[in-house]
Amino acid sequence: MGFLSPWFLAGLAAVGLPIWLHLLRKHKAQPVPFSSLMFFERRTQSSIKHRRLRYLILLALRMLLLGLLALAFAHPYLERKLLPQSRAGEVTVFAIDNSLSMRAGGLLERAKQMAKSEVAALRPGRRAQVIEFGSRVHALSEVTDDRAALDAAADAVEASDDRTSFAELSRWLRSIAQSLRLPVRVLLYSDMQQSGMPANFNDLRLNSDIRLEPHPLAAQATPNFTVENVIAPRRVYSGAKTRVLATVAGFGTAKTVRTVSLMLNGRLIESKPVAIPESGRAAVEFQSLDVPYGRNQGAVKIDAGDALAADDAFYFSVERADPRHALFVHDPGNARDLLYFRTALEASGQSAFAIDAAGTDQTANVAPSQYAFVVISDVGAVPESFERSLRDYVRGGGSVLIALGRSSMGRSRVPVADLAIQGTRYAGREGDLFQSAAALDASHPSIQQNNRWDDVKFFQAVRVDPGSARVVARLTDDTPLVIDAPLGAGHILIFASTLDNVANDFPVHASFVPFVAQTAGYLGHLDAGPPAVTVGSFEELRDPRQKGAAVDVLDPKGERVFSLAEAAAAQNLQFTMEGFYDIHRPNGRNELVAVNADRRESDLTPAAPETLRLWQNTASGISADGPGEGGRTAVSLWWYVMLAVLACVIAESLLGNRHLSVDKEAP
Amino acid sequence: MLQRFLDPATLNSIAGLDLIAKTVVDGFVAGLHRSPDFGLSQEFAEYRAYTQGDDLRHVDWNVFARTDRCYLKRYRGETNTQLLVLLDTSASMGYGSHSVNKLDYSRFLAASLCYLAHVQRDAAGLIVFDQDVTNYIAPSTRQGQLFRLLHAIERAETGTRTDFTRPFVHFQNFLRRRGMVVVISDFYEDPALIVKTVEPLRFRGNEVILFHLLDPQEIAPRFREPVLLVDMENAGATLEVSPEYARHEYRAKIDAHIEALRSQALGAGMDYFLVDTGRPLDEGLREYLSVRRGML
Repeated sequence: MGFLSPWFLAGLAAVGLPIWLHLLRKHKAQPVPFSSLMFFERRTQSSIKHRRLRYLILLALRMLLLGLLALAFAHPYLERKLLPQSRAGEVTVFAIDNSLSMRAGGLLERAKQMAKSEVAALRPGRRAQVIEFGSRVHALSEVTDDRAALDAAADAVEASDDRTSFAELSRWLRSIAQSLRLPVRVLLYSDMQQSGMPANFNDLRLNSDIRLEPHPLAAQATPNFTVENVIAPRRVYSGAKTRVLATVAGFGTAKTVRTVSLMLNGRLIESKPVAIPESGRAAVEFQSLDVPYGRNQGAVKIDAGDALAADDAFYFSVERADPRHALFVHDPGNARDLLYFRTALEASGQSAFAIDAAGTDQTANVAPSQYAFVVISDVGAVPESFERSLRDYVRGGGSVLIALGRSSMGRSRVPVADLAIQGTRYAGREGDLFQSAAALDASHPSIQQNNRWDDVKFFQAVRVDPGSARVVARLTDDTPLVIDAPLGAGHILIFASTLDNVANDFPVHASFVPFVAQTAGYLGHLDAGPPAVTVGSFEELRDPRQKGAAVDVLDPKGERVFSLAEAAAAQNLQFTMEGFYDIHRPNGRNELVAVNADRRESDLTPAAPETLRLWQNTASGISADGPGEGGRTAVSLWWYVMLAVLACVIAESLLGNRHLSVDKEAP
Repeated sequence: MLQRFLDPATLNSIAGLDLIAKTVVDGFVAGLHRSPDFGLSQEFAEYRAYTQGDDLRHVDWNVFARTDRCYLKRYRGETNTQLLVLLDTSASMGYGSHSVNKLDYSRFLAASLCYLAHVQRDAAGLIVFDQDVTNYIAPSTRQGQLFRLLHAIERAETGTRTDFTRPFVHFQNFLRRRGMVVVISDFYEDPALIVKTVEPLRFRGNEVILFHLLDPQEIAPRFREPVLLVDMENAGATLEVSPEYARHEYRAKIDAHIEALRSQALGAGMDYFLVDTGRPLDEGLREYLSVRRGML
């Protein structure tokens, strides 16, 4: 018998309370003068003794009640050895960790050998299954008693770049135990990384019929260096040297100096010695990256010389391309909007786009499809042929930014978007001197990273009926300021004021630059994703509307990830290994995605034995220290104790009411 | 109105015994209905034929003139009697579970009886005793007798233990004339011994009334918890008593004692009256008058 909360047994001291009440307090009878004791006899004493004797039963009940209460709080349980037949039909699961960290020091091979020796030791007729797990669980064999199949499955376990997730393993074990409806014995072969433990311990819980037997392969932390992160641009549009910032880290390592190298397409660009503090991090900056045209495979490597070499390089992809052109249509008599827009775009460091300016009279023969996006800045009339071609361009996925100002006042509809113009809002001498931007939709890409327009003054705005279009920003008088109207596959972004500093002072505010940069990126479909992703993450391969067209993906080994049938239907892709994935999308865009293992795998510190014991104990009813054949089960006695408490309370109430009822007429 | 004045607690708040006695008796008398036994003096009783030797002064000559026969007219004569109050002042009489203890109550009762006797022109006397006679005032109708009695009653204090034998033997010597003897006591003694001690008074032709004064707590004691009782007549004697015993066995014993005393007293021709000190005094007075009636 044991107690889950033995400290509550200190409450047994409370048993002394009724003893004091009964045996000490009751003895102090108050002397009362009485006229004569003629009718009282010595045998009265025996009556009191009898009374006390009856009280002793009450005393015993009360002591029992308090004792039981203390016992209930201590949560008693009985350890009962399970009979061997109670785990009849037990299925043994060999769970082999094949995460990245298992590559260190040949741990995976040891795990496989240990599993195979256990397979050999299985009693005839015992059924078993071999699984491998990282962040996901893969069953490598059926539940079978065929040792050859189990051996083959153990041999088939391959090292992966995945990360360890004991929570996922527990979830799978719960699921398999539920579906098998049989006792499950789990032999876990892993380096038991602490970083594989979930944040919420409850995710590790196991069913009562699961018996977990961990076999830690690494007793103590192994020193390990890694390149933890690299910050580099995904695309560059000029020939200037590119800056690359890398972070290297040491786990369980002493203070040392290591050489960190920058590689591009397998060629060493630069190496630097880096002082890494004890179990710490250091940053390395490379300014010498000259990116050639095309998609390039970059990597930052550290000469770690540790047991785990797989995490010594961090891959990143960088693409060199010419800037894309954007058409800026404006009133030839007003060049200020062009000046402000172009300056803002250049000031943002966004060199992906080159602005081509054109007057309205020059647009008749312009084909919008050759531009990344088109800006129509407060022009009165747009040639009908150009407007028509713009609509086709937007429907095909292109984007247009339309700024409305003085020249738009005479129109009844917004060009291209065809939204009704309801009038113009002026801030004059009467009423408000100016309008401010209010109600900004920070989720829109144009203002996602900069939604502080508080000090921008708008003196004139064209009121447009947004209809079903998305209003991204409004002025304080509720006039829509920024409207995003979808048309076909493209977007039309309407700015209800001008891009010069006449109708507003927006261009001379700092918030104008990020607005222009983000709007250009949004309209030009500029993909500014990270230069690298982690193993296990997903990549969207196609737009849901693009059906039938094949997507071609080559994994880091140069093999096609999808079969032909899959290539025509696959919506997304999960990266499973480190390296570069070459993705050829249906829309013709090719992409090189650098994939790195989760750097939590680099911390080889094993989980504390107490943590493992706690994990084993989550299988309620299974003792952690009972790996014997039958196992031991803990039967909680709490309910029984509480029932006894209830019985005691009732008995005490009845007896106490009978013996201790106070005579109300007594003085 | 009457009950209010006869309530022991109310009486206890009145300073002088004479005022108490007057309050009780006057209130009591005023509350009575017309009684044939009260205020009798020269009242016709019967006619009787004349026989030789009879006093001629008693012949009703009017009857003789009409019938020519001699008849004597008989009147109910003045039957003034003598009241002797025996007041027990033993230590046990000092017990009281409420504002009026037994001695106070017995004082009120004795004073009221003396005053009532005084009103009726009866000679009243007092003997105060515990284990000995501590005070004696001979029955008399003299001027100031009432105040002597009241003074003596006022001065009565609790003494030692009760012993009926010695004082009764002693004061029997003082009794010359027949009358009424009222014994006010809690009678913590063997009923046979009490009756045996008091019986000689009855043999001498006295009407004996035993007022058995008991506190309500003595009749039906109620304790919340076991108590250590200390004997008031013997301070060294203590006894621990459980509420159950007091509620059951003690009550049986005291009831048996009361019943034995009552039956033996009645058997000996004495009147017995149990007085609960928690109840008004008029019941005691009524008992006295019912006996007094027989004396008239």
